[in-house]
Amino acid sequence: MEFSTILGAWVAAGLTLFIFSFLYKDNPFFKAAEHLYIGAGLAWHIQLIIYKIIKVKVWEPMKVAWASGNWFTIWMIIIPTILGLSLITQFIPRISWLSRYGFTFMMGYSAGLALPAGLATDFTNQILGTIEPFANIVNLTPGQLINALILLIGSISVLFYFFFSIEHKGAVKKISNFGIYFLMIYFGASFGNTVMARFSLLYGRFDLLVRYSNAQYFYATNWIIVGLVIYFLLEKFVLNKVIAKNS
Amino acid sequence: MNLIKKHIPLAIVFVFGIMTLASYYVPHRKSENYLEWINIWQNIVAAFALFLGAISLFYAHYKKIERKVDGWGYSLFVYFGFLVIMVAAIVSDGKISDNGKITFLGWSFNNIYNPLSATMFSVLAFFIISTAYRSFRIKSFPAFLLFIAGLVLMLGNIPLGEIIWDKLFAWTNTTIADIKNWIISVPSTAGKRGIMIGIAIGAAVTSLKIIFGIERGYMGKD
Repeated sequence: MEFSTILGAWVAAGLTLFIFSFLYKDNPFFKAAEHLYIGAGLAWHIQLIIYKIIKVKVWEPMKVAWASGNWFTIWMIIIPTILGLSLITQFIPRISWLSRYGFTFMMGYSAGLALPAGLATDFTNQILGTIEPFANIVNLTPGQLINALILLIGSISVLFYFFFSIEHKGAVKKISNFGIYFLMIYFGASFGNTVMARFSLLYGRFDLLVRYSNAQYFYATNWIIVGLVIYFLLEKFVLNKVIAKNS
Repeated sequence: MNLIKKHIPLAIVFVFGIMTLASYYVPHRKSENYLEWINIWQNIVAAFALFLGAISLFYAHYKKIERKVDGWGYSLFVYFGFLVIMVAAIVSDGKISDNGKITFLGWSFNNIYNPLSATMFSVLAFFIISTAYRSFRIKSFPAFLLFIAGLVLMLGNIPLGEIIWDKLFAWTNTTIADIKNWIISVPSTAGKRGIMIGIAIGAAVTSLKIIFGIERGYMGKD
């Protein structure tokens, strides 16, 4: 097996166990891994931006446009680059107002895009999905009809719960309270899904640790666990006593 | 000065907001070209926004190191982690693999970034269990519904759930997966729909307020 693979196994197992060590208590290994994650995560996204956006959408098209004298493309690259660079002026108080140009472009674009897209997917499509089954009511089985009615009544009652223009009393209160039941089922289902997603990540981590505890990886997981246990024992029985004695 | 500090930025929001909004409803080649270009513009501008965050992060950790605040040594790991991945990216020219062979960047992703990222999120599984204990205490009927929906969703995704269901409720001629799918597609969707419609209305109103310059919080102070 290649040296880089074995080294990778030790690094991956080490970093995984350093983060898991937080389950025992906060410790220097976890803090180091946590800070490493911040730096590595930032670098990962920055390199993606450099190689997938700056290089592909700015540098290379600019070279081609410059060589062919295509001034339209040149300006279409220079303008957003200047708008982007204007954001950096946030750090220079005297000219920080320049960053508004970049921010306002992003806000305008995002608002203009979110409005129709949000209305189409989250508003009209949701209403359509709720009432569509009733357009075909004669072909629905009793079960499908009951489901369609539950969907309709549930959606309306949840909307009543979020309708604050009138006071919630009498019939409105009863309907909005009924909406809470549907909201609770949705929250419970979302919670269950989140738990399962986290656990599937956890299984993946355990799988990696088991794989790297093999002889071909020189028992990386085992040795790192032993090292961490020795550190925590030393900290508990030696280091803490020395610190207490000195203070 | 008011013109370049305030009115032009507000005009930019209005122009790009209206044009992007209109291009969604105008099925014309020019409108499609506009959307194509403006998406590239957004990618480029947003890319610089990440540099803004990076500078801010580096400055915060630099200050920690300079002032030697408690735990300043850990801030060095931020720079170290950043350097390792950046050097790997430069050496590998931003490629994960080259001719089927994993590059230094690919190695760094598989053995540094991915373990850190996946483990950080998987640790939350343990904390979710303690949260579940607190949130699933059944004190009322809505809390009971929350508990049942969460429990069925979890059991419906694991073989143990199927075994328990088959032992206790085999006579119902349904499976736990059927119940799970029904919860997701009917009552849970009803709850979700109400929220989504509310969010869509809120987002539409906020978008209009931004486009017409009523909402200006993002402009900062003068």
